[in-house]
Amino acid sequence: MSKKEKKIIVEEPIHLDIPEDEIWTYRVEGLAAPHINKPYKHFGLKKVIFAVVIIIAVSISCYFSVRTVQKDTFEYEQTEIGYELSKFSNTGYMTTLDIDFVSSVEYDRENADVNTNFEVIKDETKKVTSVGAYALNCDEKIKVINISADVDYVDPKAFYSCWALRQIEVDENNPNYCDVEGVLYSKDMKTLICRPCDHDTYLAEKYGHAKYDENGYRIEPAAEDANYEQYVKDVLTYVVPSSVETVGQLSFNYANMKAVYLPEGLKTIETLGFFEIPLLESVKSYKSDAVTDTHFTGEEALGEVYNSLPDGLEYIGSDAFSYNQAMTYVFIPESVTYIGHHAFWDTVYKADGTLKGVTVINVEASEEKFDEIHTGNSWRPQYDYLLFKKSVGINYSSVRTEG
Amino acid sequence: MSAMQKVRSLFTEIKDHWSTPAEGKYVPYKEYKDVVFAVGSNYAGSKVLEYIGFFSSCYLIMHHYKLPYLTFSVIGILNMPLGYISALMWWFVCDNLGFLPKKTERKFYFTYFLMMAFGISTILFDYSRLFDQTSPFITYLNGLEGMNATACFKTFGTHFLYTGWVGARNIFWRKKLLPKYGRYKYSLYCDVIPKCIMVILIGWLPVYNIPDVATRVWVANLLFATYNVFGFANNLETCTRSISPNLQERILVRSYPVKISHFFNTIVGIILPAIIGMLRYEWADINVYRYVIPITFCVLAVFTMIFAGKVKERIPQPPVEKKVQIKFWDGMFGVLHNKYLLINTIKDLIDSLGNGMLPFVTILYFYTFRLSGLPYSLIVMLISFAGTPPDLLSPYFLKRFSYKQIMIFYQLTRAIGNGLIAAAMWFCGDNLTLCGTICVVVLFFMEMTKTVPTTAGHDMNVRIGDYQMYLSGERLESFAGVFGWFTGPITSFVGLIIPLLLLKYGFNSNWDVLFVDDSRRNIIVIPIIVDVIGFLLMTIPYLFWDYDSKKQNMVMEVLKRRAEVTEKKAEEEGVSVSGGYMG
Repeated sequence: MSKKEKKIIVEEPIHLDIPEDEIWTYRVEGLAAPHINKPYKHFGLKKVIFAVVIIIAVSISCYFSVRTVQKDTFEYEQTEIGYELSKFSNTGYMTTLDIDFVSSVEYDRENADVNTNFEVIKDETKKVTSVGAYALNCDEKIKVINISADVDYVDPKAFYSCWALRQIEVDENNPNYCDVEGVLYSKDMKTLICRPCDHDTYLAEKYGHAKYDENGYRIEPAAEDANYEQYVKDVLTYVVPSSVETVGQLSFNYANMKAVYLPEGLKTIETLGFFEIPLLESVKSYKSDAVTDTHFTGEEALGEVYNSLPDGLEYIGSDAFSYNQAMTYVFIPESVTYIGHHAFWDTVYKADGTLKGVTVINVEASEEKFDEIHTGNSWRPQYDYLLFKKSVGINYSSVRTEG
Repeated sequence: MSAMQKVRSLFTEIKDHWSTPAEGKYVPYKEYKDVVFAVGSNYAGSKVLEYIGFFSSCYLIMHHYKLPYLTFSVIGILNMPLGYISALMWWFVCDNLGFLPKKTERKFYFTYFLMMAFGISTILFDYSRLFDQTSPFITYLNGLEGMNATACFKTFGTHFLYTGWVGARNIFWRKKLLPKYGRYKYSLYCDVIPKCIMVILIGWLPVYNIPDVATRVWVANLLFATYNVFGFANNLETCTRSISPNLQERILVRSYPVKISHFFNTIVGIILPAIIGMLRYEWADINVYRYVIPITFCVLAVFTMIFAGKVKERIPQPPVEKKVQIKFWDGMFGVLHNKYLLINTIKDLIDSLGNGMLPFVTILYFYTFRLSGLPYSLIVMLISFAGTPPDLLSPYFLKRFSYKQIMIFYQLTRAIGNGLIAAAMWFCGDNLTLCGTICVVVLFFMEMTKTVPTTAGHDMNVRIGDYQMYLSGERLESFAGVFGWFTGPITSFVGLIIPLLLLKYGFNSNWDVLFVDDSRRNIIVIPIIVDVIGFLLMTIPYLFWDYDSKKQNMVMEVLKRRAEVTEKKAEEEGVSVSGGYMG
């Protein structure tokens, strides 16, 4: 049968002559017969088989699903030199985490207080030597992390979005890492690795600014408060030590910080180094090469201080300053050779019809020279312009403003 | 015949049959006009609601609630056992169109109210305190992602409350409204006002500020469960699928007035993101949920209700009072005998390989290309428009190719398209221009090749319903869910694969991880590869599809004859009847 003939048959009107008493039983050719208001053969047996299959399917599924979402508090992977902490799943009540030995949690059946009824049991024959990427991803309870002397690698993304993390303490005998006031650095102090998301609470407590509401949540002082200026100095300002050459990936993300002082020796700001710091108004650089104290007491302690990014900076990673809408001034020194994509993304916005935030990028180099450096897509901030987006302008051969 | 003559003849045809349909047809052209406005506003309204939902990619959850990704799977597992029990009752009510024997109805109401009482009590009291706090059960619950024992009990109770509430409403409103408004659109009449209220409340209730994540999870679950009690689905378009017993007329309505009606959504789809792009924090701005979405939705809801009454369903069926009463086991075995439902089920089972995947197109737009405002609207419109021209040719394609060919072609194009996108992101993800161009072009072609199979898929489902009606005397659309009983356990387990993979690559409650290039690449590409495998495997079940138009026409003849004979007998008996349709 040709295709054309087949088509004609399909389109032919069909009329079936169905007697009135056969309307519920009439069987169309090529299809199963109707089964309406008639008893089924082996009805009881079929019901039993049906129920048994369902029960088995549901039970197996529940068992495997429950097993799958059940996670040990600590998960490790064995490496050549020890164990890597690959995943930490909080019991819901742990606030301090020691990264030293392979651990597990045991509960005290006599104690009904969920905050204290568990104990971390450590196997001291198994040393933890590294912390994997996203090992503590989005934990909301851990406040303090203690890193032992044996840990020789911490992935830059290990403590990503640990919202309650206030301080990271490193054993002083650790040959690879150290901490300064709860901020994680490489041992040689050349790389700043992680400033915890809630580090400001640690500083507020340390300098006597911490106040809490009845639920235990910290109250941020208001700008009108008498000691607000001191609070900004003690808590909301951070001085990166003069030895630091690299601000690591994700190191300052979500910091509650109004000002940061960068050393002139800084060469690299990695991807998302200062990502989404809504309060960050001021980025300044200083010349002194003897600063070790990260606590800001005054600019005089830092030697000569100038606005924006330091001379000698070479690399600005992608999204390095994204979403920092409080920033208003950016000066890119001539030394910069690489600017990653979206480095200053969303640092400009419109309010009441006027542009606010970073409305222009100041560049020390001339246009020809600046064209030679690598710039990623949309590295400049963009704002709404005639229903589309427009990048802010660049001031070439610009001179740094005094701050 | 010249083009001019054709236009003139079409005009005469429309004029002559504006109020009364032509011989052999059932839908007057006036109703075509009503379909455009009714489906247009209903479809656009239901699309606006896609911005609200208890899932991780909802912008309200993403930017404000910030709930852990795996928590949604955990809640799914918690709700699974009750889902089985409640489904039984639900199907029984739905497939009997709300008309139950008095005694059964009382029993159902009692059970539903008991469920609601239990649900409310779990919200008011903390049942986890009744257990030993150090027992393995409680410590297990405390260790679940984003949950603790208290939150688990409250979430469990919320599902009881939801099931009881929805179940009781289902009986009450079906019985009251279905005979008058038909089986597909009655729910709009009872749900539209509470839905508008919930859409407004969901943006204004500040429960996303709760600092403790476990509390935030159960409160959000309760809020969204309440929101979900009231529906506003694309009911009127579903209604148009049964607008005529004439197969060609059905496809004609679906291909022209229904397609034209979708322009409403295209317009809303352009304006809405453009307005949102003007807000200071764009999609992360809470005003999206306080003003933009509620206002848009309420306006569309009003238009929907104005035109809803003008679109009719015309399934050949006996009057409601004379319909076949479906006993529980008849319903169960009835659907199990439907070979074509089985084919669909196997296809869905394979499709579950992609469950838990993030909306990669959204990620592409927002996190790779950082689109917002009008540019975002335009690119979304450009891609969604790609499907319109082929859709207008749907009647041709559906005549020219068999449904089997169309569906196999569809799965293969998904596999190839997704494979190309994964390759582009993996090998040239750093070059936004090149990668972006490849992705947009591929998405364009994928959209182009999607609309005809979508129309075919909808018609296949209607045909399956017609076939079921031939087999069992009712469409048993709800009892068809029994296949889900067998597949549900498997899909819920398989659906954990991707969330666990994503967790490993750093995706949890904070979507900003997608700004980290290497993490974003893994988070997008690995699940796509899993999905591609699924698309390839999904071609297999369609090889067994043999339900052609000839069989369908014969089935429709049987259904018409049944309706005719039943109504005639009812009239002879002097019984007052409603809701029937002879075709």
